[in-house]
Amino acid sequence: MLSNTFTLSKRHLGLIFLFGGGLAFLAIIGVDLLDAGREGGIGPAQQVALAFSAFVALVGLSLIPLGGDPA
Amino acid sequence: MNADLTLLRLNRVLLAAAVGLLLFYFAVYAVYAVNLISFPFDYDQGEGFELVDTILFSQGEWPYRDTETFPFYSSNYPPLFHVIAAPFVWLFGPAYWYGRLLSFLSTLITAAAIAYAVHRASGHRWIAILSGLAFLASNTVYHIGPLFRQHISMVMFETLAVVVLAGVNEIPDTRRRRRLLALGLALILAAGYTKQLAAVTALAAGVFLFIRQPRRAVVWGIMAALAGVGIFVWMNWATGGEWWRQAILANVNELKILQTLALFGQWFGLHGFLIVPAALLVLYELYFARLSIYAIWFVCAVGINGAASGTWGGGDSYFATAIAATCILSGIFAARTLRGEWRFPSNYLSRLVINPTPKSPPHDMERGLPDSPLLPLSQGKGGVRLALARVGLIIIPLLYLGYGRAVLHMPTQGAVFGTLAGALNIPPNAMNGFYDSARTLDGQYATGYANIGHLVTQADIDAGWSIVARIRESEQPVISEDAGFTLMAGREAITNPTQLLNLEKKGLYDGGELVRMIDGQEFGLIILRAQFYPDVVLQAIARAYTQTETVTMNGFNYLLLRPKP
Repeated sequence: MLSNTFTLSKRHLGLIFLFGGGLAFLAIIGVDLLDAGREGGIGPAQQVALAFSAFVALVGLSLIPLGGDPA
Repeated sequence: MNADLTLLRLNRVLLAAAVGLLLFYFAVYAVYAVNLISFPFDYDQGEGFELVDTILFSQGEWPYRDTETFPFYSSNYPPLFHVIAAPFVWLFGPAYWYGRLLSFLSTLITAAAIAYAVHRASGHRWIAILSGLAFLASNTVYHIGPLFRQHISMVMFETLAVVVLAGVNEIPDTRRRRRLLALGLALILAAGYTKQLAAVTALAAGVFLFIRQPRRAVVWGIMAALAGVGIFVWMNWATGGEWWRQAILANVNELKILQTLALFGQWFGLHGFLIVPAALLVLYELYFARLSIYAIWFVCAVGINGAASGTWGGGDSYFATAIAATCILSGIFAARTLRGEWRFPSNYLSRLVINPTPKSPPHDMERGLPDSPLLPLSQGKGGVRLALARVGLIIIPLLYLGYGRAVLHMPTQGAVFGTLAGALNIPPNAMNGFYDSARTLDGQYATGYANIGHLVTQADIDAGWSIVARIRESEQPVISEDAGFTLMAGREAITNPTQLLNLEKKGLYDGGELVRMIDGQEFGLIILRAQFYPDVVLQAIARAYTQTETVTMNGFNYLLLRPKP
């Protein structure tokens, strides 16, 4: 990875998006699960963040089949 | 052949019309800039305090100070813009014109950089010119462009950095590549030390360099971080920790999601004709080519700065970086369409979308499935690409004409603009006879949109000098929510209301000494505009002072309060 010729591929980028978006999604949900005593549920900012995280994960999923093409 | 000639002629007419329309906005912008440059007082809230910062730097002093002691002043902005303007204080004394002129010139440099980037990527001169003019025609860029504010200088440094770094990985000559990398990263540092929001461009550049070559990104990233952190630590040491307290801790504000959503809607409504092609180019690069720095910059600026536009102190100006990226990407998209240069290499998406029957012969009569009309795009055949280019000859100039209609803004008074507004039936929907398409016909606008853009009048200037005269009459110190009046009266600026409010919101403000002085009626006059002081200060003012006069300047009511008898 640290060679002078290495470059990220579409698959690498897809995996980063998939795991990054997925982790962000779980973290946002986790805020409510861990902070169970708080009232109000998932607020509008959280809803937007959840939708964005899911979108990033889906984009990542769609990039993985593109394989070794340079990103 | 005749049809092609007609199309080409029509394209030229439409392109000329688009250039003419955007040149008209440039003329409006120049008129606005000249009008503001000659205005001697605050136009946008906060300009005066940026002038105070500039004066302090010209005296070799930091503006990051303890707000609990007289004169209770501090700044929350990084120093570079004010340092650049400081020599003007030595030459001309405290004045607004040079800061506004520097900002105006910054927008011209940014527009030129956008045009250069599009021309370098596409070779299309007219689309390059349109792209640069489109940036200047944006309602957001128009109204914050010629202000004594540091934001638009940050956008200039960001744009220059991105344009410098765009092709840096492909430069075979090592020395030249290193020089450009160093220059690009230095420009990002300059942007960051002009305004903190440039962190988004640092992120975009880092991601771009990492995708292209992780080793180079890590090495150069460490060097840039060392330089940036070194400056940061030095400033914090030199200001006794106030840099961290005032510019970082007090500068993180809560997000109002409804404001964010409203500003996103407004941004798309005004710039949608360019956002759609820009987004299409991002998708194309994501799935069919390599991601450019412009695409990553666009996504980061829209996502992060767009979200941050809903914070206290945010606003539509937070989209200025995204608008610069939009202009570059849409320009490249437009030029590529006109030149028929789209290529779709074979992958599962091109097979799915462009050729739905990949294993069949080109005309699969047996299965009855027609080939996609876009198939030749991926096979290098010229027919469809040519057809798309022909359609583009009409569609692309119409995009810029549509954009020109969407961002309509102009004065509706005066010999030229008044006649034109009358002929086109454009009514004013902002103060001082101004029409702005960002507003509804009755003048409503999205929360966070700056209520500026109109021209100032001689009556505004006279009103400002009348406030200065009141300050000069006072033998005691004077607090003014706009610093310009006290500076023009030759007095010291006391307090920076929004910064005191920033500190209070973070639980970093006490205000005891200022409240004691207000309760003791130690100020001869207090001038309020938006009343952006912390509650504890406003309550003290209400206890000890009473409103004796109202002066209207620039559409805003300035309340003049004197000690209660």
